[in-house]
Amino acid sequence: MSTFLDALAWILDPSSWGGSQGIAVRVAQHLAITVAAVLLAAVPAVPLGVLIGHTRRGRGVVVALAGAVRAVPTLGLLTLLALLLGVGVWAPLLALVALAVPSLLAGAYAGVESADPEAVDAARAMGMSERQIVRHVELPLGAGVLVGGFRAATLQVVATATLAAYTSDTGLGRYLFSGLKSRDYTLMLGGAILVALLALVLDRLLAVAQGRATGLARRTAADSRLGA
Amino acid sequence: MGIEFRDVGKTYPGGTVAVAGFSHVVPSHTTVALVGSSGSGKTTLLRMVNRMVDPTSGAVLIDDQDVRELDKVALRRRIGYVPQAGGLLPHRTVVDNVATVPVLGGTPRRAARAAAADLLALVGLDPSLGRRYPAQLSGGQQQRVAVARALAADPNILLMDEPFGAVDPIVRRELQDEMLRLQAELGKTVVIVTHDVDEAFRLADEVVVLRAGGVVAQSGTPKNILAAPADAFVREFVGADRPDRTLSTSEIDGRRVVVDANGRPLGILQ
Repeated sequence: MSTFLDALAWILDPSSWGGSQGIAVRVAQHLAITVAAVLLAAVPAVPLGVLIGHTRRGRGVVVALAGAVRAVPTLGLLTLLALLLGVGVWAPLLALVALAVPSLLAGAYAGVESADPEAVDAARAMGMSERQIVRHVELPLGAGVLVGGFRAATLQVVATATLAAYTSDTGLGRYLFSGLKSRDYTLMLGGAILVALLALVLDRLLAVAQGRATGLARRTAADSRLGA
Repeated sequence: MGIEFRDVGKTYPGGTVAVAGFSHVVPSHTTVALVGSSGSGKTTLLRMVNRMVDPTSGAVLIDDQDVRELDKVALRRRIGYVPQAGGLLPHRTVVDNVATVPVLGGTPRRAARAAAADLLALVGLDPSLGRRYPAQLSGGQQQRVAVARALAADPNILLMDEPFGAVDPIVRRELQDEMLRLQAELGKTVVIVTHDVDEAFRLADEVVVLRAGGVVAQSGTPKNILAAPADAFVREFVGADRPDRTLSTSEIDGRRVVVDANGRPLGILQ
């Protein structure tokens, strides 16, 4: 219990926050690598997922591949990448990208597939091109599920981004690794609490975004914009 | 603008034959109803006109031009389409739903919305409903919006796939009356698919009764089909022996009252 209180006291101590090794800098680094990993993963995963969802083709292959990627232990992948790329931020960044891809892919194809098939059929029969169907019908209608994929990916990445400190001096993971080495359990616990808090804050923010994106697609009779 | 089905067939890769060798001409400015039970291939035939389905044999021609020579998207934009359940885009307001095709075609949004409001009035809706979302309308109102949307690009051809199948009988009747009024005003070439023979008789100049696999059992005007059903299948399908179709007159105080087979009075013979 006293370790926990010590950890809280360490977090609440303003002197822990400043400086190049302080909490503020490390939270910013942690966030930056999380955002970078998710966005980099989205570059191939979202278009590929949209394509699979729209054409309903290749889903089996991609789901199997994504499942295989999920089964790869991130720490093992990180070690392998670090051996190939050397120490630094690139190895953990790539390992985190690999971690984020399956959730983003699933969110994208599930989102596009969730669009009402009658609306999609009518859009096609009206003369929308396939690209216009994706843009004007499937993406708006599947936006909630798509953002849900970002939410799941972000949550996994922000928690696992502690591993960035394994090969580089980046992020909140540093507190865990140095605490482990020097048996400073207060520091370790403090770092863990910060990671958990950051994950919770990000999850809440993305939950709000998901709710808004879902609301775009599901107008109901109670919609307050009625008179707008 | 006339539509010709020239010996069209559709066989799916699994070997299922949806339509085998169907031929028919839909003259310009007339309404033709394709009727049949499920599995008769009527919807498949309808969707061949705007290339939502391409035939595996034969051809569909519009004004003597094979539709397969035309770009799908361009073809569909000049053909109005009313699907069964409306198929409105749930995330767009009613007015934006109606304006969809003109906006795709390059009409400025503001002009397209103004035209859409007029179309809502044309199909009997208060233009103020344009700001609502489809889920905020009744089923009948949604179908009216779907008709307005199909008319938005001022197409010569209107395809309707069980357009009033999802609404209750009273609303269906209202929508059919509205359709008759619109057709008298606009004179489109209309192909309507329905399993409801009463709807076909009410709306169409010519009715094509289909058996399983798109085989024509009989085609002709509603009057001709009712007067002389080609065979037992047609007779049964159009309900030629139904009590409300076998009428007789009885004379009461010098006036001839029409009664159905159950003796219910229907009206006075003038």
